[in-house]
Amino acid sequence: MNIAQQLVNGIIIGHAYALVAIGWTLLLGAARLVNFGHGQIYMVSAFVAWWIMSMTGAPYVLAVVVAIAAGAVIGAIMQRLFLRLTLSQDLVNLMIATLGFGQILEGAAGLTFGPKPETLTSPLQAVTFDFGPVWFTAQDALAVGATILVFLGLHVVLNRTRFGAAVRMVAEDPPLVALYGIPISRVYISIFAFEGAAVALAATLIAPRTPILTSMGFEQVVMTFVVVVLGGIGSVGGSYVAGLLLGLFTAIFSALISPAYTTAAVFALLIAFMVLRPGKLAAGGNFAR
Amino acid sequence: MSARLQLRDLRVAYDRNLAVTIDHLAVEPGTLAAVIGANGAGKSTLINAIANWSRAAPRLSGEILIDGEAVGGKSADHLARRGVVLVPEGRGVFMGLTVEENLRAGLFAARAGGRAYSLADIYTLFPRLRERRSNLGGSLSGGERQMLAIGRALRMAPRLLLLDEPSIGLAPRLVSLLLETIRALADGGLTVFLVEQNVRAAIAVADSLYLLERGRVVASGDVAAMKDDPRIIEAYLGARN
Ligand SMILES: Nc1ncnc2c1ncn2[C@@H]1O[C@H](COP(=O)(O)OP(=O)(O)OP(=O)(O)O)[C@@H](O)[C@H]1O
Ligand SMILES: [Mg+2]
Repeated sequence: MNIAQQLVNGIIIGHAYALVAIGWTLLLGAARLVNFGHGQIYMVSAFVAWWIMSMTGAPYVLAVVVAIAAGAVIGAIMQRLFLRLTLSQDLVNLMIATLGFGQILEGAAGLTFGPKPETLTSPLQAVTFDFGPVWFTAQDALAVGATILVFLGLHVVLNRTRFGAAVRMVAEDPPLVALYGIPISRVYISIFAFEGAAVALAATLIAPRTPILTSMGFEQVVMTFVVVVLGGIGSVGGSYVAGLLLGLFTAIFSALISPAYTTAAVFALLIAFMVLRPGKLAAGGNFAR
Repeated sequence: MSARLQLRDLRVAYDRNLAVTIDHLAVEPGTLAAVIGANGAGKSTLINAIANWSRAAPRLSGEILIDGEAVGGKSADHLARRGVVLVPEGRGVFMGLTVEENLRAGLFAARAGGRAYSLADIYTLFPRLRERRSNLGGSLSGGERQMLAIGRALRMAPRLLLLDEPSIGLAPRLVSLLLETIRALADGGLTVFLVEQNVRAAIAVADSLYLLERGRVVASGDVAAMKDDPRIIEAYLGARN
């Protein structure tokens, strides 16, 4: 096996995991909320991009922009629908409601786009870089670069801006936020919209690597869940590191053993981690770091 | 000119427990009104109701008027932006934000109505905060935290500053310093409504006094007259031991 190439693959997949998970990380870290419809937003965004391109012949860049807008809108709609559960921090019901919403999205996508696998084509897929034993595409490089930029950008926004301060305030003490004159539902809606937009960006950058299916949402939410837990529930920096390590683990595991058992192995890793470090899982007030 | 704050037939209840019953209460602009009462008298319930804020979810009925305008049903964040600014009991600042972030975070409307204190004004009022401007709220002492909570409130151009037990947990010297500052703010035109268990401290600074027992005002009036009221003396002695 080509170790160097597996490392490169791992880095690419790892950044993909991290980018898919970043919205959930913020949602959980800042708002203490979950969204199990996350994977279906990924799926719908990929299909929106594909549909725009195949129906109108629009260029890839435009499809990415439209898909991000669609993701943000879906996120915002979810926040409005589940506002009461959001404000009362009713996690169990929110889990069920968002899971259900995801199923509805999946059903609607199945009806609209059909059961066939489709391909979202990015022109950058065809551009490859060869460095002796390793190679990758320009699309891979874009995904890695965009992930790094989004994480850095989020870090700066959270720690340096007034809006970021409002997000940290919501994380610490939601009722107190109102006394500072800040309407908390606006902050929640922004967080949900960011979550949708970020997962849509991830979808448009990563989905060109493989055929897209309306049933692919589940796998995405599962990996996101693992990244968020390994990264220290809701820690932004932790998610980046966790995504990267998980990507390396997946790549090497697939190469050495078998790609068929990767998901099982990832969960074995997760359970081992939870059993061994039960107290260290929550990021608490440090999620913005 | 109408009163800055007026309460009419205000009732606040937790489930079936009526915690506050106020038939009428008015606070004139530029004055400092203090509500005194023992633990559980309903002080926090009353002051929170004025800001339409609570960590529980009590039921409110009756009328709350700010400068003659009925504000019942307006959300707490809306009221805060319009200058009805509450410093709640206990933790009134964000531990994970620095002092300066806490002072900058507040959102208020141009028509909030009061004087908006600048960052420099706040640091002049509480020099201690300037020294600790980059420290986290969570690393402050109780007194510093209370200064920060009040400073944050002043930044929001309050028309009506609502303070829930600003003296709680502070050393006596700090209590007088803080209350003298609040008195000076009222002398400068700010309207202050505060609730206190520390009767002596409240008497020392307030213009008018309300004695609250089981959610009802049982005595009220100018401080000069109220200080010799036997019920106040009783409450005052009660508060001492
Ligand atoms: N969240 C709540 N749920 C039910 N009852 C409550 C709640 N908060 C307060 N009460 C009741 O309302 C009454 C008034 O309480 P409140 O906190 O207003 O008193 P207080 O005068 O502020 O007391 P303290 O000096 O201890 O702060 C008390 O009888 C209390 O038991
Ligand atoms: Mg109280």
